[in-house]
Amino acid sequence: MVREKVRVSTRTLQWKCVESREDSKRLYYGRFILSPLRKGQADTIAIGIRRALLGEIEGTCITRVKSKNVPHEYSTIAGIQESVHEILMNFKEIVLRSNLYGTCDASICVRGPGYVTAQDIILPPYVEIVDNTQHIASLTEPIDLCIGLQIERNRGYLMKMPHNSQDGSYPIDAVFMPVRNANHSIHSYGSGNEKHEILFLEIWTNGSLTPKEALHEACRNLIDLFIPFLHKEEETSPLEDNHHTVPLSPLTFHDKADKLRKRKKEIKKKIALKSIFIDQSELPKVYNCLKGSNLYTLLDLLNKSQEDLMKMEHLRLEDVNHILVILARKHFAIYLPNKKFEIDFEIYCYSIFFH
Amino acid sequence: MLGDGNEGMSTIPGLNQIQFEGFCRFIDQGLTEELSKFPKIEDTDQEIEFQLFMERYQLVEPLRKERDAVYESLTYSSEFYVSAGLIWKTSRDMQEQTILIGNIPLMNSLGTSIVKGIYRIVINQILQSPGIYYRSELDHNEISVYTGTIISDWGGRSELEIDRKARIWARVSRKQKISILVLSSAMGSNLKEILDNVFYPEIFLSFLKDKERKKIGSKENAILEFYQQFACVGGDPVFSESLCKELQTKFFQQRCELGRIGRRNMNRRLNLDIPQNNTFLLPRDILAAADHLIEQKFGMGTLDDMNHLKNKRIRSVADLLQDQLGLALVRLEDEVRETICGPIRHKWRTTPHPQNLVTSTPLTTTYESFFGSHPLSQVLDQTNPLTQIVHGRKWSYLDPGGLTGRTASFRIRDIHPSHYGRICPIDTSEGINVGLIGSLAIHAKIGHWGSLESPFYEISERSTGVQMLYLSPGRDEYYTVAAGNSLALNQDIQEEEVVPARYRQEFLTIAWEQVHFRSILPFQYFSIGASLIPFIEHNDANRALMSSNMQRQAVPLSRPEKCIVGTGLERQVALDSGALAIAEREGKIVSTDTEKILFSGNGDTLSIPLVMYQSSNKNTCMHQKPQVQRGKCIKKGQILADGAATVGGELALGKNVLVAYMPWEGYNSEDAVLISERLVYEDIYTSFHIRKYEIQTAGTERITNEIPHLEAHLLRNLDKNGIVMLGSWVETGAILVGKLTPEVVKESPANRLVYDIVGIQVSTSKDTCLKLPIGGRGRVIDVRWIQKRGDNDNPETIRIYISQKREIKVGDKVAGRHGNKGIISKILPRQDMPYLQDGRPVDMVFNPLGVPSRMNVGQIFECSLGLAGGLLDRHYRIVPFDERYEQEASRKLVFSELYEASKQTTNPWVFEPEYPGKSRIFDGRSGNPFEQPILIGKPYILKLIHQVDDKIHGRSVGNYTHITQQPLRGRAKGGGQRVGEMEVWALEGFGVAHILQEMLTYKSDHIRARQKIPGTTMIGGTIPNPEDAPESFRVLVRELRSLALELNHFLVSEKNFQINRKEA
Repeated sequence: MVREKVRVSTRTLQWKCVESREDSKRLYYGRFILSPLRKGQADTIAIGIRRALLGEIEGTCITRVKSKNVPHEYSTIAGIQESVHEILMNFKEIVLRSNLYGTCDASICVRGPGYVTAQDIILPPYVEIVDNTQHIASLTEPIDLCIGLQIERNRGYLMKMPHNSQDGSYPIDAVFMPVRNANHSIHSYGSGNEKHEILFLEIWTNGSLTPKEALHEACRNLIDLFIPFLHKEEETSPLEDNHHTVPLSPLTFHDKADKLRKRKKEIKKKIALKSIFIDQSELPKVYNCLKGSNLYTLLDLLNKSQEDLMKMEHLRLEDVNHILVILARKHFAIYLPNKKFEIDFEIYCYSIFFH
Repeated sequence: MLGDGNEGMSTIPGLNQIQFEGFCRFIDQGLTEELSKFPKIEDTDQEIEFQLFMERYQLVEPLRKERDAVYESLTYSSEFYVSAGLIWKTSRDMQEQTILIGNIPLMNSLGTSIVKGIYRIVINQILQSPGIYYRSELDHNEISVYTGTIISDWGGRSELEIDRKARIWARVSRKQKISILVLSSAMGSNLKEILDNVFYPEIFLSFLKDKERKKIGSKENAILEFYQQFACVGGDPVFSESLCKELQTKFFQQRCELGRIGRRNMNRRLNLDIPQNNTFLLPRDILAAADHLIEQKFGMGTLDDMNHLKNKRIRSVADLLQDQLGLALVRLEDEVRETICGPIRHKWRTTPHPQNLVTSTPLTTTYESFFGSHPLSQVLDQTNPLTQIVHGRKWSYLDPGGLTGRTASFRIRDIHPSHYGRICPIDTSEGINVGLIGSLAIHAKIGHWGSLESPFYEISERSTGVQMLYLSPGRDEYYTVAAGNSLALNQDIQEEEVVPARYRQEFLTIAWEQVHFRSILPFQYFSIGASLIPFIEHNDANRALMSSNMQRQAVPLSRPEKCIVGTGLERQVALDSGALAIAEREGKIVSTDTEKILFSGNGDTLSIPLVMYQSSNKNTCMHQKPQVQRGKCIKKGQILADGAATVGGELALGKNVLVAYMPWEGYNSEDAVLISERLVYEDIYTSFHIRKYEIQTAGTERITNEIPHLEAHLLRNLDKNGIVMLGSWVETGAILVGKLTPEVVKESPANRLVYDIVGIQVSTSKDTCLKLPIGGRGRVIDVRWIQKRGDNDNPETIRIYISQKREIKVGDKVAGRHGNKGIISKILPRQDMPYLQDGRPVDMVFNPLGVPSRMNVGQIFECSLGLAGGLLDRHYRIVPFDERYEQEASRKLVFSELYEASKQTTNPWVFEPEYPGKSRIFDGRSGNPFEQPILIGKPYILKLIHQVDDKIHGRSVGNYTHITQQPLRGRAKGGGQRVGEMEVWALEGFGVAHILQEMLTYKSDHIRARQKIPGTTMIGGTIPNPEDAPESFRVLVRELRSLALELNHFLVSEKNFQINRKEA
C-alpha cells in the first residue's frame, strides 16, 4: 500500500492571547489560541496543559501563624470581633504573589480600633499582596495586634496536624493552587486531508499570576517532566541479573567466560540469600529484634559483623551465638562471605551440647 | 404566641409550642389539681391536723440562670412554696406558714428542661383512650364473636363477650371468664336491679341457670366466685376482708378506674349520663355495655376502630409531670403522717411548726428520678437545630402503659385516615419501632381531653372572612374536607369546579359548593422533617422517610450555606430552634464581640451572651456568630447572631455542590460516592466536634502531675496541678488528668521490715489517670473543675473539652434530602474529576442506578433547579405539591429556569433541548467526552454524623464475655469482630486451616489454649494444638444437663471394650 503524501502545513505553530480581563483583583481570565495543529494534536496538548495548569502550578500561601497570648484556636482575643479560628481562616484565603523558594517570614503589627486587612501585612520585598482589601480582623478596641506569619511556596495543598509548640504558633491548611479553573476547546477547519485544528485554552487564576504566566509555568513544568526521556537510559543497579550490560574489556574469551560464570554463581547465591527471610530460618527468639533493626533477609544479616550484631538493642551474647550456630548448621556450613563471622569453637560446642 | 394578632391569617405555630403549652398547662392547672387532692392529716390522738392550702402556692424565680445550671451540672428548677396550716383541734388554734415543698424543674422556651446539667425533653405519648370499644372477631368455627373491651385509665383491659348462645361473659384473666351476672353482683347489684336496668332482660334470664342463681345469691358468694376465677385458685376459699381487698386492688383499681376522659368516653359511647366526677366503672356501665353487646349481636350499632385517633389520647408533659407531682405528694403525705403520728412528736410538742413536718426531698427526688430514668424523658438530641426542634414534637406509642416494639401489631403501626393533619404519615423511625415513634404534623395541636387537633378553613357563605377552626379527630370525618393539593381552577365553568375531598375516610371528587372545610397548607399533613424536602411529591414515601430522619443527623458545618432549592420552612425552623440570638426588643447595638452583644434600648443596656464553641449532647459544635454591626439600630425580633447550621436566619445543614450522575470506574457502585479534593481543602465539608472527657475523684484519690513509672513526654501537657493545660494538642493515649489512687498495701514481712528500718510506711498508689481513648485527638479548649458542695468526702469532677476539626474523608456518610445516601469511597484530585463544558470539575459523582429503583425523583428536580439557581444566583423556595397549580408544574419550572440560566449566562450546554438537564461532560484524566449526556446539577448535600473516625476499630487484645468466653461485642468495649458462620465458610473455602483454628480457639473461647499463648510467645516454640472443646460448647453441654440431657464424649477401647469417659 502506497502511502499518500501528507502535506505539511508550511505555517508554524503560533499562540496568541485572544482575550484577557481582570474580573476582580482575585479573578483573572485569559483565553489563548494555538494553531494550526494537525488533527489530534490539539487533544494531546490540551489535556496535558489542563492537567498541568490545575495540578502543577506553584503558589504562595501563609502556612503558619504565630501569636502570643492565644491559648488555642477556639479562643477569643478581647477587642477583636472575630474568633481566633475565623482569623486563621481569613489568613488562609489571602492571595500572595512571590518568586520565593522555600519559606519566609512576615508579620502584622496593628493598633486598633479599625479593620485589619491584607495591606497591613509587612512582607519581605519579594512577596506581594494581590488584593489589599482582603479582610483579616476587625479591632473594636485600642489594642495591639501582633502576629508573625510564615509564608511558603509550594504546589497542591497541605494539611498539617497541629502539634504542641512552645512559641504559640498555629499551622494553617494551605491551598497553593493559583489556577482556579482551566478549560479547553478544539475547533477544526479545513477539509479532507487538510483538516486542521485550533486549540482554545481558557484559564482563570486567583490573581497571584496572570493566565499568561500560568500558561508559561504549566508548559515549563510539563516540559520538565518530558526531559528525562531525552536523556540516555541510565544504568540500572548492578545487583540485578543483567550481565549482558557488562562492558567489554580487553580480556581473553576464556577469562571472560570464567569471570562471567563466577559472577553468575555469586549473583545466584546472593539472590538465594536475599530471598530467604529471617523468619524462615528458625530464629524465633531474636526475630523481632532483628526485624527492629531492619534486617529482613539472610543477606542483610550476613552483611553485619558480629560486633554490629552485638551493638543492637536487646541482643545478648547468647543470642548472637545462637544465630551463628543456626546459620552455620543450617545454611552456611559451605558459604561464609568475606569472613565476617568467626565462630568461637568453644561456644559452638557448648551450644551443640545444649541443643 | 404567633398568629394571635392576625387571626385568620395562617401562620405556622411556634414549632416548640406543643411542649411549652404542655408545661404551662401543668403550672396553671396541674399544680392546683394535685394539691387539692392532698388530704387533711390528723395525728393518732386527733389533736393536730395538717393541711395544705392549695390557693396559696408560689413558684420562685430560679436561683441560677439556665447557662449556669448547665455549666455547674445542676438542675434548672424553681422552688415550690405552699402555705400549710397546723390546726389544734382542742384550742382551735391555727398556725400557718409558707413552706418549701421541693424543687420543680422548669422548662425553657425551647421546650427543654435542664436536669443535672443535661438538656432533657419529655416526649408525648399516645395511649388508647380509656372507654369501651366493640369489635367482632371470627372464632375457630368462623362464627363472629362480639367483644367489648373496657380500657381503664391505667391501660388495664377487661373484656365482655357474647357467645353463640347469647350468653354474656366477662373475661377476667387470659383463661378464665365469668358470667356477667356474677360480675354485676360482685360489684354490688342484685338480680332485680340487674333485670330492671337492662333493655333485654329476657336474654339475661335465658342464661340464668340454677347454678348461677346460687352464685349470685349474695354479694359474698359472687365475690368468692369471682375471686376463684380471677386468681385461678381451686378448692373452697372462705370469704374474708383480705380477699375482698385483694380483689379491690388487683382488679377494680387497675381495670376499672376510668378517669375523667374515660367517664366521658363511656357516657358518650353507651348513652349514659353518669356525672363527670364519677371516675370508676359502675354496675350501670357494665349493664349498658352488655346491652350494647346484645345489640351488636343482632346487627344493631356500630363497631369501633381502635386505631382511630379519636380513640387515642395524648399524654403530654403536662400529664406526666402532674402524675409525678401526685406521686410526690403521696410520698409527702406518708412522711407527714409518719412524723405527725410518730413517737418523736413529743419532742417538738412545745414548738410545732408546719415546717417541721415537711421536707423538700420527696418532690425533688421524684422529679429528678423522673427526668433521669423515665423512658419518655430523653436526652435532647442536639446534632443540629432541626434535630432539637423535631425531638420536642415526637410522639411514642411505647412504654410505660403503652406498647412494646416487639409485640405491636402491623395494624397499629399503619397510617390511618384520621392521622391526616395530626400525625405525619412519613416521619417515623426505621427498624423495630417503625410506626410506633413518629412526629407530629406541623399544625397539630393538643386540645382538651388529650386529643390531637388539626386546623381547617371553614368555607361558608355567611362569613366573608376565612375562619380557622381546630377540629378533633372524631369531628372532621363528618365534613367534606378539600385536600389542599388541588385547586378548583376554573371558577366560571361549573363542571370544572370540582375538587378532591376527604369524607368519612374516603377520597371523593365533589363540587366546590359541597365542601365544608379546606386544609390550610399543602404540607399541613407533614412533619417538619418531611416539609423541608423540596419536591417531596415526586419521592417515594420510604425515601422521604429516610430523608426526614437523615436531615436530623446532619452535622453543622464550619461554613454553612443556604440551600438553593428549599421549601420555605427553613426560616421558621431556625428561628424556633433557639440556635439564633434574637433581639427581644428594639434598640441600638452598642458593641459586638465574639462573646457578647451589647445593645441599648428603652434606656438600659442589655448584654446578650453568645454561645462560643460549645459541645452539644451529640458532640457537635455550637457556635454563634454576630450578624449585626456596631451602631446599627435593630428592631424587635431581628437576628443578632447566627448559630450553628444557620445562615441569615435560615436553616443551613449542608452545601450546594456540583454533582454528576454517572458511574466512575466502579468507585460509586452500591451507593458509594466519589468526591473531589476541593471539598477537603476548601473546607466545604469541615465540621467541628467537641468531646467531653470526665473523671471523678473520690475519697483519698488525688490529682497530681507526679505520676510514677510514666514517661516524661506523656506528662508534658500537664500543669502543676496535674490537669492538662488549656490549648495543648493531645492525641490518643495522652494523659488529660493525672490521678493517683492509693492502694492498700499488704502487710508483708518485707514491708514491715522497711517500716521498721526507715519508719515510713511503704505506700504504693495506682495510676488511674484519665487518658485520651483511641481515636481521640484535638485541642483542649476548656477545663472545668466542679466541686460538689455538701458532701463530706468532696467528690470532684474534672471535665476536659477537646475540639477536633474533621475534614470529610473516605468512609464518611453523605446524603441528599431525598433519602439518597452514600459513603465516600474515593477522593480524587480536581483535575481527575469529570468536568463540564466550561471546565468546572464536578464535586461529587453519584451512581445513576441509585435513582430508578428507589423512586426518589425529587433529587433530579432539585439537582437541575439547583444548577439553574447557582448560575442565576437565585434561591428557590418551593412549597411541595406545586402540581396543584398546573400539570407537571415542577418539570416546567425546572426547565424554564434552566433555559433562562442558559440564556443569561450564554452557556448553551446548560439547557439542551434534546436532553434537557443533561450535558456532555468530559473525563478529567483523558479529556475525552463521555459516551452519553450526563445529568449534572447542584443539589444540597449533607454530611451526616456517622463518620469513620467514630467507627474505626481494631482489636489485638481485649476482654471476653464472662459466660461464653468469647470476645466482647462493640467498639465501645474494645470488642472483637465476630467470625460467624459465613466467615468460617470463607476461610474453609480458601483452605486456610491455621487461621481458622486460630480464630476459633486462641482468639476466641478456648481458655486453656488462650492462656498458653503469652508464655509460648515469650519462650519461643510452637503453640500447642488445643485438644478439648471450647468454652461456649461446654456452656452448651451444661445447659443441656440442666435440662436433664447428657451429652458426653466417651472413648471405647478396641481391645477390651472398656469405656473411658472424657469430660467435655
